[in-house]
Amino acid sequence: MRYLLSCFFVLALATAAAAATGDPVCIQCHDSDMMKPEFRKIPGEWRQSWHYQNGVSCNDCHGGDPADAAMAMSPQRGFVGTPTYQAVPEFCGKCHIGILKNYLESGHGKALKASGSGPNCVTCHGSHGIQKANIDIINDQRCTQCHTYDRARIMKQALFATEKKIRDLETALKKLSSEGMYTEKEGKALFRTEAEFRTLFHTVDVDRVKEKTDGFMQDLNDLQNKVDALFVELQSRKNFSGFLLLVFAGIGVVVFLLAKTPR
Amino acid sequence: MIRMWKEIKEWIEVRIGLDELIRTQLTEYMVPRNINIFYTLGFVALAGFVVQVLTGFLLLTYYVPQPDHAFKSVQNIMANVPYGWLFRLMHVVGSNLIVVAVGCHMLSVFFMNSYKKPRELTWFVGAAMLLITLTFCLSGYLMPWSQLSYWATTIVTNLPSAFPFFGTITVKCLQGGESVSGITLGRFFALHVVVLPSLLLVLLSIHLFLVRRIGISSPPSGGSDKEKKPWTQFRHEDHPDGYPFFPHFVLKETYMVMAFFALMFFIITFMPALFLPEETTVPADPLRTPAHIKPEWYFLAPYQMLKLVPNKFIGVSLQIIMVSIFLFWPFLDTKKEDNMLKRRVLFGVFIASFIGWVVLTIWGKYS
Repeated sequence: MRYLLSCFFVLALATAAAAATGDPVCIQCHDSDMMKPEFRKIPGEWRQSWHYQNGVSCNDCHGGDPADAAMAMSPQRGFVGTPTYQAVPEFCGKCHIGILKNYLESGHGKALKASGSGPNCVTCHGSHGIQKANIDIINDQRCTQCHTYDRARIMKQALFATEKKIRDLETALKKLSSEGMYTEKEGKALFRTEAEFRTLFHTVDVDRVKEKTDGFMQDLNDLQNKVDALFVELQSRKNFSGFLLLVFAGIGVVVFLLAKTPR
Repeated sequence: MIRMWKEIKEWIEVRIGLDELIRTQLTEYMVPRNINIFYTLGFVALAGFVVQVLTGFLLLTYYVPQPDHAFKSVQNIMANVPYGWLFRLMHVVGSNLIVVAVGCHMLSVFFMNSYKKPRELTWFVGAAMLLITLTFCLSGYLMPWSQLSYWATTIVTNLPSAFPFFGTITVKCLQGGESVSGITLGRFFALHVVVLPSLLLVLLSIHLFLVRRIGISSPPSGGSDKEKKPWTQFRHEDHPDGYPFFPHFVLKETYMVMAFFALMFFIITFMPALFLPEETTVPADPLRTPAHIKPEWYFLAPYQMLKLVPNKFIGVSLQIIMVSIFLFWPFLDTKKEDNMLKRRVLFGVFIASFIGWVVLTIWGKYS
């Protein structure tokens, strides 16, 4: 009875705290001392993740009711819990549809399906602390856990120029944004191209990567032209307001001298 | 052409006596000989308000005050409307510089003890205008409907909830519902473009009337020609041995206004995003609270103070008391001495308050 009451109290408290902070109720329990250490570290990892930065919460992957502690882990509310090793690609692929398709057709996907021991999403990306994907995920240390690095190196080299272009464009858009320019349209175009490019990674097919990279580079070059045009616009704005600055400063100096002239 | 000009001038002269008006109000209207540039700050703020009205009118022609369109309409002004970016940046930077100008004006009036008899009302109206200016900034903040606008407004409009009963009603009245929504945007828009400008215009008229009716005060130091007679009945404070308002003081005002504009365009040229942090480029999302939402720099000190005082009711009450002291200060300070440097205690309190404000602002910014 006492156990039931304390559980009820914790659930009520979690629901109230969730309503106050806007966090899902899952966090309240996972942060509490009653949780095992390996489960307790999950909220901290999630808060550092790319998912967190983009508003992807516990229930978006695991289901359940994020607002009601009593129903947070209810299968009726779609709670899935931890997927099995083999089910991980389908689990992540609920959102990352294009990537799932390419992965399942790849050597990685086929290996998982055939032997149940091939690499899944978590092998390369981790789980709760997942970070924004980039080309550095392909590295000697990670790939050699299962096979030699040779083919992976060739693919990384093929991806390198496109990846660099994406990084450069991201930096340029950030710079434009920090100078007060609106770059939402260009930002969305880059995000779209980058997402499509990421799906290409998952084929782990060197020939296909080489073949498709030209198309991505063309899209990125078009985007680069638009970004360059925005920089030209920014410079012309600066020139114009700089001209107005000189005009008003000049008038100010003349009037100041006039005011100081003895009459 | 010259003949036509003369005829127009004569036509006006016959009807309103323009020559006499210019003579009595400008060329023969004397200001103290030792008048300094701090006396021009009120006029600088006025010039700033004129810029806000003009740029605000231009923004109004493209801005749509509805949650679904507000953010996009501001983007459109910045990206597509010819020189829209310039008018918006002038409006944004100008609003911040006006707070600086009005703040410095009040500080100089306080420091020179110009609020004392017979100018208590002038101070009160001026202080009310500073509060109106801050309300202008607050209401204008929501207009772009960005993440920053939305969440900063949510924080500020929830402050009155610290008070029992009236607090909840005030919050609902401000927000028009349970949270910041399209209704809040409509209310703030009406406040920003109709209610506040009308109020400001009335207060400004009273302020200018009082300044001209009572006369310009003399600075407390530097060979003042101030009359020392006790103020037992109304008289205009004349400065017969002073300088003419025009051109002497008008030239001073003009170069200070030019400095104001030069500073405005300096910020627009070299630091265009100074008052537009990253959150202003993201549309408002009521379902997603950003990690670090801070109010504008002029609200950072009260914001930090509220964070430091553990009880919200006490924190808000304390701030209301401080604003009331600021508004009614001339009625509270009854000492005759008008040289601030000779009033050690008041000077010390003033310096301590000023340092406190700066520290709280920096603390609020980086906390």
